[in-house]
Amino acid sequence: MNDGVPVIVFIGQPNCGKSTLFNSIAGYKAQTSNFPGTTVTHVHSEVLWKGEIYSIVDLPGTYSLSPHEPQEKVVLTHIFKEKPDLIVNVIDASLLSRSLELTLELLELEYPMIVVLNMMDLARKKGIVINVEEVERKLGVPVVKTVATRGFGTDNLMATIEKALKLKIRPTGPHYSREVEKRIAEVMDILPEDFPVVANKRFTAIKAIEGEMLAVDKFISEHNLAFKRELDRRRQEISALRDAPAYEVISAERHHLALKIFEDCCRVTRPKISAIDKLDNLIMDPVLGYFFLLLIFAGMFYLIFKVGSPLESWLLQPWETIKSTIENQFGHSLLAELLIGLVQGIGGGIAIVFPYFIPLLFLMGFLEDAGYLARASFLLDAFMHRLGLHGKSVPMFILGFGCNVPAIMATRILESRRDRIVTALLIPFVPCAARTTIILALIAFLLGPWWALGFYFFNFFVIAILALILKRWFKYDSPGLILEIPSLKVPSLKSIWQKIYFNLKEFVSFAWPILIAGSVLLSFLSYLRFDRVINAVLSPLVTGLLGLPQSLGVTLIFGFLRKELSLLMMFQALGVGYGQLMAVITKTQLLTFVTFVTFFIPCLSTLSILWKELGKKVAIMSVALNLSAAVVVSWLIRLVSSLF
Amino acid sequence: MFGKKNNNQRIDPVPPGGLCSLTEVPEGEVLKIVEIRGSQGLHRRLLALGFHPGDLVTLENEALMNGPVLVKNLTMGSRVALGRGIAQKIMVEVAAGDE
Ligand SMILES: Nc1nc2c(ncn2[C@@H]2O[C@H](COP(=O)(O)OP(=O)(O)OP(=O)(O)O)[C@@H](O)[C@H]2O)c(=O)[nH]1
Ligand SMILES: [Mg+2]
Repeated sequence: MNDGVPVIVFIGQPNCGKSTLFNSIAGYKAQTSNFPGTTVTHVHSEVLWKGEIYSIVDLPGTYSLSPHEPQEKVVLTHIFKEKPDLIVNVIDASLLSRSLELTLELLELEYPMIVVLNMMDLARKKGIVINVEEVERKLGVPVVKTVATRGFGTDNLMATIEKALKLKIRPTGPHYSREVEKRIAEVMDILPEDFPVVANKRFTAIKAIEGEMLAVDKFISEHNLAFKRELDRRRQEISALRDAPAYEVISAERHHLALKIFEDCCRVTRPKISAIDKLDNLIMDPVLGYFFLLLIFAGMFYLIFKVGSPLESWLLQPWETIKSTIENQFGHSLLAELLIGLVQGIGGGIAIVFPYFIPLLFLMGFLEDAGYLARASFLLDAFMHRLGLHGKSVPMFILGFGCNVPAIMATRILESRRDRIVTALLIPFVPCAARTTIILALIAFLLGPWWALGFYFFNFFVIAILALILKRWFKYDSPGLILEIPSLKVPSLKSIWQKIYFNLKEFVSFAWPILIAGSVLLSFLSYLRFDRVINAVLSPLVTGLLGLPQSLGVTLIFGFLRKELSLLMMFQALGVGYGQLMAVITKTQLLTFVTFVTFFIPCLSTLSILWKELGKKVAIMSVALNLSAAVVVSWLIRLVSSLF
Repeated sequence: MFGKKNNNQRIDPVPPGGLCSLTEVPEGEVLKIVEIRGSQGLHRRLLALGFHPGDLVTLENEALMNGPVLVKNLTMGSRVALGRGIAQKIMVEVAAGDE
């Protein structure tokens, strides 16, 4: 307990709805999506309920308390270092028996605990009828039913939390078969005086037995060889019971207990095969699945463009009018330049970014919540292996379309550091919302949607080539894919809206001010004619190598802050409005410019997260990779188009 | 759906009492896990995911190009995509008497 504020942690298996539940209590703070491994770090919030403050922590999902993945270790740290006052074990009720295995393991901690049966709506759809009182009796802890997406049951949960914190009842762990219990009791007895007891002696003994060949074991053999020998003997005895390693025997005991509880407390009526199951079969089909995959992405792109481009031209008009009014009023004074910069920054955000950003967020949210990310991983796994990665990286690439920053954070769920680095180096090449805006607003709007679609595929092609290059560099030994495929769900509009809102808030409070400030700054620089100095310095690259107008040099500097800035600045730098752009530059120049801007460097936020997550070396490597790829690819585009 | 095109040797039903890996079985057949081979890390991971010897499983789908297989654990109700190398380490036999 810190400062008297009770600490409550949400623990559960991946994708059971912890973050959704957390958000419905604490307001939207944690990312949610229908993919196991969405939350990779702890999210913490103070909640006021009936005049009391509670500190609630949302944790990454974990399948067991013997963690395998880095984000799962976060859970153990929280349990042992921060000593929560109450554990709220969230369960996907439609996967009750499997989820109870973790519950039984948590009960062994003998911490005050509540079990939440979430996704009751899905359980019902699957034909599972749960007798909650019976579960309560069997587990010896309060059990609450919720449907987190609809906020159903959250009040009851808070009331139960309040009560549990007052009563502070410690549950007892499950009882295993006699032979196993005997060995656990023996290990408890021979635990050395100085052995670090976590939670309680029984839990410590069980984890010591289970810890065969793990870090615990090394610790034990280094500290107390006599104990190690005794422990090994008990392990062998347990192992002999079922002709399997001791950890498997104990895990199997939990497995069977969980099944037993499930059978005693639940009735399963035969579920009807619903339309959604049929759809699921179609999109996972080994042949048709790929067709749908293409269709989904092309359709998504088309829809964003179809919604965005009329909005864009409609929204642009008033800003153009304001701009010309200012020019007429103030001529070319400093004031006029600054005002125009301001108008371009504000207007650019509203007219150019929003029309594409919002539909993109909506469609991404839809795919995420439906559960398509995991399915795409399944379909593309074999393909990814050829590129030296595996299917588990697919969701990160898809997330990258929204923003590269959370995509790089999400690489934490990859088991090997090698895979993490390679994926994180490739993510900055995925056209994020900012770059999609540039591609759609420039290429699709000015050259036509087919050009933009072509550009997208070209972009994927570049990523594939780079992956092959990186595969030579980093020795490839990807472990095979192990990924739970969550059930296909009908996305809740509320949850999608919350995601859009969350991202928009980010954009409005962080990116947009940068856009506006950058735009004003550029006006100021050009008034002082300082931009010419920058342009002159960059001229060998911009004009010499890429064949672009010299005045575009300065836009690249701003593109490092936010990719959209390059786009907005482009008009300002060339001194033309949207409609007249094609009068001052050629098609080739436009393509070269967009290519260079999309690739040339990860934006500031992406670079900082790379640095933070994977270190300076990887960040520098990323810059070098981007810069060289951008130069080579844009130069190639220039070369190829000069042939025609 | 659309006629499963498996390799002809693979489509052979599993011989009664015979042991084979999850990559060598036809889709849709109800099988029982007999043993999980492979490294200890893999073993533990699959146990944590709720795959235990004795569980009934069925192969639902196989991705193209030697891609992963989709395995449904009928006992637990969960579905997991497993890379072929991993599926090879899960040994199964035909579940006797069950539908
Ligand atoms: N139908 C239904 N869907 C739900 C419910 N609760 C959550 N979901 C959906 O289930 C998915 C997973 O929810 P999350 O809150 O991200 O799950 P999590 O437990 O935080 O997952 P990790 O962070 O990956 O461990 C999301 O798409 C939610 O919209 C529920 O009660 N009913
Ligand atoms: Mg979460």
